[in-house]
Amino acid sequence: MWDAYTFYRNMQEDGIIFSFTGPTSQSVVEGIGEVLRRKMALEETKMSVSLKVFSIFVEQMQNVLNYSAEKEPPKVEDDNELHYGMVTVGKKDGHFYILSGNYITKQDTERFCFLLDRVIAMDKDQLKAYYLEQRRKGPDASSKGAGLGLIETARKATRLEYFIADADEERNFITINAVI
Amino acid sequence: MENLIIKATKSSPSICLDAQSRILEITGESYPENAANFYAPVFAWIDRFFAQTNNTPVTVNITLHYFNSSSSKVLMDIFDRLEKAHADGTPIIVNWRYHEENDTAVECGEEFKEEIECIAFNMVEFNDEDS
Repeated sequence: MWDAYTFYRNMQEDGIIFSFTGPTSQSVVEGIGEVLRRKMALEETKMSVSLKVFSIFVEQMQNVLNYSAEKEPPKVEDDNELHYGMVTVGKKDGHFYILSGNYITKQDTERFCFLLDRVIAMDKDQLKAYYLEQRRKGPDASSKGAGLGLIETARKATRLEYFIADADEERNFITINAVI
Repeated sequence: MENLIIKATKSSPSICLDAQSRILEITGESYPENAANFYAPVFAWIDRFFAQTNNTPVTVNITLHYFNSSSSKVLMDIFDRLEKAHADGTPIIVNWRYHEENDTAVECGEEFKEEIECIAFNMVEFNDEDS
């Protein structure tokens, strides 16, 4: 039998507040987001910090919703595709972190790496200028308005890192860790 | 012209665009699944409303506790339309309302203000007692 207790304690040791794995939807973003806010309010987290955590959580979760290359087409025409991924929010050594991961196509990988390398190398002023510039621009063909989401995450985070794992012939797995 | 009223949800703001009082209000949170879709009726309404120039001022009150990056892009587009209407002769005043403890909302407001050229853009602070 599986031992949930060990699993649970391991997660607690990593300071995990919640961890979500599976098919995402807007209602999951809203539901988890609400609990996350309540939890931070109970801990009397400063409004500026809690808004940063919430903001990165939303951007990363909606990133999975929009870009995960692991998806299931709807059975009913009006439904959306289900996109799979994971998002974990925790607090370790006094800092919140948002760890997210999902499959992306090989084709998208280059674009993501290019953008991430670029924003990681920028200081806060450069990030602001880049954000304002991209906000003014129309979305590029393959984008649902994102790009801006990653810049936003970089602006709110004090540390941002990512890792690409080779998954199969068509896909890679991207891990993004944002620390506040 | 009919007013546009949309009720708030957890992830989308309430919208109240009143053609008679000439007060346009967006209030709440904005991180809908698809910001462009959510705001499409707002754009359609704004375009019809400003199709006729009228020199009676229009007041735009925006009170957003939080909005995501795609909503930010949409807001920029809305301000662009307002700037155009203003240049065409309809005076426009924007009140960016923020809670005194919400530094993020202040920063976001300032960043829109920097991008805006001709319309009046006021930063308006409120606290728990006001709301």
